[in-house]
Amino acid sequence: MSDGANASGAEEAAAHAEMRVIEALRQGDEAAFSRLVDQHHASLRRMARLYVSNRAVADEVVQDAWLGVIQGIWAFEGRSSLKTWIFRILINRAKTRAAREEWTVPFAGFGADDVGAPEAAVSLDRFWPADHPTEPGHWTSPPRDFGASPEHRLLGREAGEQLQKAIDALPANQRLVLTLRDVEGCSTEEVCNTLGIQETNGRVLLHRARAKVRAALEPYLEGE
Amino acid sequence: MGSSTDIPCRELVELVTAYLDGALSRSDHERCEEHWRTCPGCRTYLAQMQLIVGSLGQLRHREVEENGAERDRLLDLFRTRGLHSRGPRERSVPLGIAGELVAPGDHIGYFWESEDEFDAAAGFLAAGVERDEVCVLLGHDAANGRVLAGLERRGLAADKLRQRDRLHTVSGQQPGDALLGEIGDRIRTAVDGGVPMVRVLGNLGWEHPGWPAEGDILRLEARVTDAVRNLPSVVMCAYDVRGLSGRSLLLGGLECHPLTLRRAALRHNEHHVPAAQFLEALALDAA
Repeated sequence: MSDGANASGAEEAAAHAEMRVIEALRQGDEAAFSRLVDQHHASLRRMARLYVSNRAVADEVVQDAWLGVIQGIWAFEGRSSLKTWIFRILINRAKTRAAREEWTVPFAGFGADDVGAPEAAVSLDRFWPADHPTEPGHWTSPPRDFGASPEHRLLGREAGEQLQKAIDALPANQRLVLTLRDVEGCSTEEVCNTLGIQETNGRVLLHRARAKVRAALEPYLEGE
Repeated sequence: MGSSTDIPCRELVELVTAYLDGALSRSDHERCEEHWRTCPGCRTYLAQMQLIVGSLGQLRHREVEENGAERDRLLDLFRTRGLHSRGPRERSVPLGIAGELVAPGDHIGYFWESEDEFDAAAGFLAAGVERDEVCVLLGHDAANGRVLAGLERRGLAADKLRQRDRLHTVSGQQPGDALLGEIGDRIRTAVDGGVPMVRVLGNLGWEHPGWPAEGDILRLEARVTDAVRNLPSVVMCAYDVRGLSGRSLLLGGLECHPLTLRRAALRHNEHHVPAAQFLEALALDAA
């Protein structure tokens, strides 16, 4: 069997498993619902807080989203994954709530995924100029190799806090895309489906967000 | 390091996300890998990016969530508000008329006589707009026009609502089966998009050109109740007490709706006939 056949076999199995979950929820299976909550509740809270800074209000938005799942499950046709659907409901409720409170939210309004002016992933002064005779556009100051087991340094408490700080400092749209894609582990397609944005634009925002986080964490990435 | 066909490092760092996503063209993909073979700086950059992505993925495991109480509360919500439960449902959705509350899955017959009573139906939709629900109009042109005017008077512009996918019109000029199918599709599409609920306002075109014959409309009305019972929707059908035939009012209005709204009071309707029984009686009438 080829890899392709394996992959589609696995996808089919996953789709079947998901249909069983949906059917169980429709029948009022509390264990199935409980598992769903365990899988997604923490993610929904994190997502809600990206839209609504007040934690109590964010929790209300999450509960509202769960109610939407509970009452919408019979109408859910599985055109997207259950996870994407749940996230989409959450984002809808968060936007509605934010609009009511007259807060500004990411990706609001028409053409809101416009990525704006170009941004360089790495500060341009770290490269030779394009008209350099021998090394045009190449590193003047390349990132330094981080030596042995950098993951340990990155997983340390201080680096973890720096990571969170770097995420918090991102522009709202970039923060949302990065959180969905890298923290929550959605695919690029799922992210763009959930947010209703173009895939190319989503990827540009993700790229900029990752570049900023890398730059902020550079001291932790390099060896002593 | 740099050969003339090579990508400059400065440009390569901009391709890393697309590369990791497998979104580069074959030739760009190969040019990147070629570059990495000879450029330690860019290799380090790529490795750092992968490390960052990996540690972002670890962030969700860091948080220790105290979920017990929360889960119990949500389970309670599931138990009491899920549309699977057969018992009476909690009425928590504002109807938008006279302060009445309804439950998801309700099918209401609204008997109106005066202009003001007709106009109150627009309030039903306006309450939905307020809650970011989707509104569906299923009515003959004259009625729909008056409903839209009523929305305008409430500060809700129909074209803006349509642009935002919050208002749809379903044409009544098709067979009853197709109509029922389209109502269900509208609800499912809206829910799929993350919308909390859908409101359907019916001003059925009894004896209107192009609309189904009386018997077909009655069969539609009888089946709507079960069709929307488990969907996050409220369907309200307006019945013109002074204009419609006694038979339409009795069979369509009274026997097909578990709830009625009359003079701003919502009531359980003892005259509602379950669909199977209603359809059987209708078939006997016709024979």
